[in-house]
Amino acid sequence: MFTIELNGKKQEVTAGSTVSDILALVGSNGKNAAVLVNEKIVRPENRSTAIVQEGDRIEVLVFAGGG
Amino acid sequence: MDLLRLGSYSFSSRLILGTGKFSNTQVMLDAVRASGTQLVTVALRRFNREQLSDDLFGPLYEISGITLMPNTSGASTASEAVRAAHIARELSGSPFVKVEIHPNPQHLMPDPIETFEASKILAGEGFIVMPYISADPVLAKRLEEVGCASVMPLGSAIGSGQGLKTSGMLDIIIRESGIPVIVDAGLRSPGEAALAMEMGCSAVLVNSAVAAAGNPAEMASAFSEAVRAGRKAFNAGLMPKSGHAVATSPLTSFLGTEA
Repeated sequence: MFTIELNGKKQEVTAGSTVSDILALVGSNGKNAAVLVNEKIVRPENRSTAIVQEGDRIEVLVFAGGG
Repeated sequence: MDLLRLGSYSFSSRLILGTGKFSNTQVMLDAVRASGTQLVTVALRRFNREQLSDDLFGPLYEISGITLMPNTSGASTASEAVRAAHIARELSGSPFVKVEIHPNPQHLMPDPIETFEASKILAGEGFIVMPYISADPVLAKRLEEVGCASVMPLGSAIGSGQGLKTSGMLDIIIRESGIPVIVDAGLRSPGEAALAMEMGCSAVLVNSAVAAAGNPAEMASAFSEAVRAGRKAFNAGLMPKSGHAVATSPLTSFLGTEA
């Protein structure tokens, strides 16, 4: 286990976790979400192979209401 | 046909609707449908498992004929806005971006320098750039020169409902602009939207005026009709103003004359 920052909060994750695992962890199916790892976009086709590293800053973003 | 042209896109509706501040997603969707809009703004935010209904991409995607215009709200610098635009394009597939950079939450006035820098970069990258700006004719012209598809000057402060406080400056921007001018922010009533269109604006963008109305769908429909009426009046050509009375009936006297 190690710690990452997930949507601004500390999160313990299992070593070897992928971006897809992280999406499952937060409860997102990833379909309408953008994922950034250390400010870089991880495209849907790469999420199941992108391995998360200790200290990574991960953002899972969606569209919400806005003017 | 009288179409609103933005980049390579054409729209028959000249009403752009924001999706914020609605009491729930269904109320927002009903308002979008009632407005007849073809371009809606959305904002990026962190995914939250407790607020799954806030994820608007799916519901909006199901309304046919809708194009998304993500905004860069939350950005306080040009580089943050550019990053937000990249993420939003990845998510929406839409080339539209509303550049919105307001560092001060007290008044939400757009930062002209950061807005210019971000707009220049994004226009260079092929985005259809729609910057939200103060009603500044010089800035509007500079944004046109760097390839923005439109400029969106404010009528008054965001969400204030104070109407077209900037009408004098808007007149200058409209007269000088070679790109569509869209009044964004501050409108409260359909009458104000009609007035903006009569002045020669190419479209209006409203959010709070609809979301905070007693009946949002009815208000969205009223705005739709007002924008159409205002545009029709503009195209018809308003009569010239006169500083004195000009009679509409013959003034030749006959009632007082004796036979």
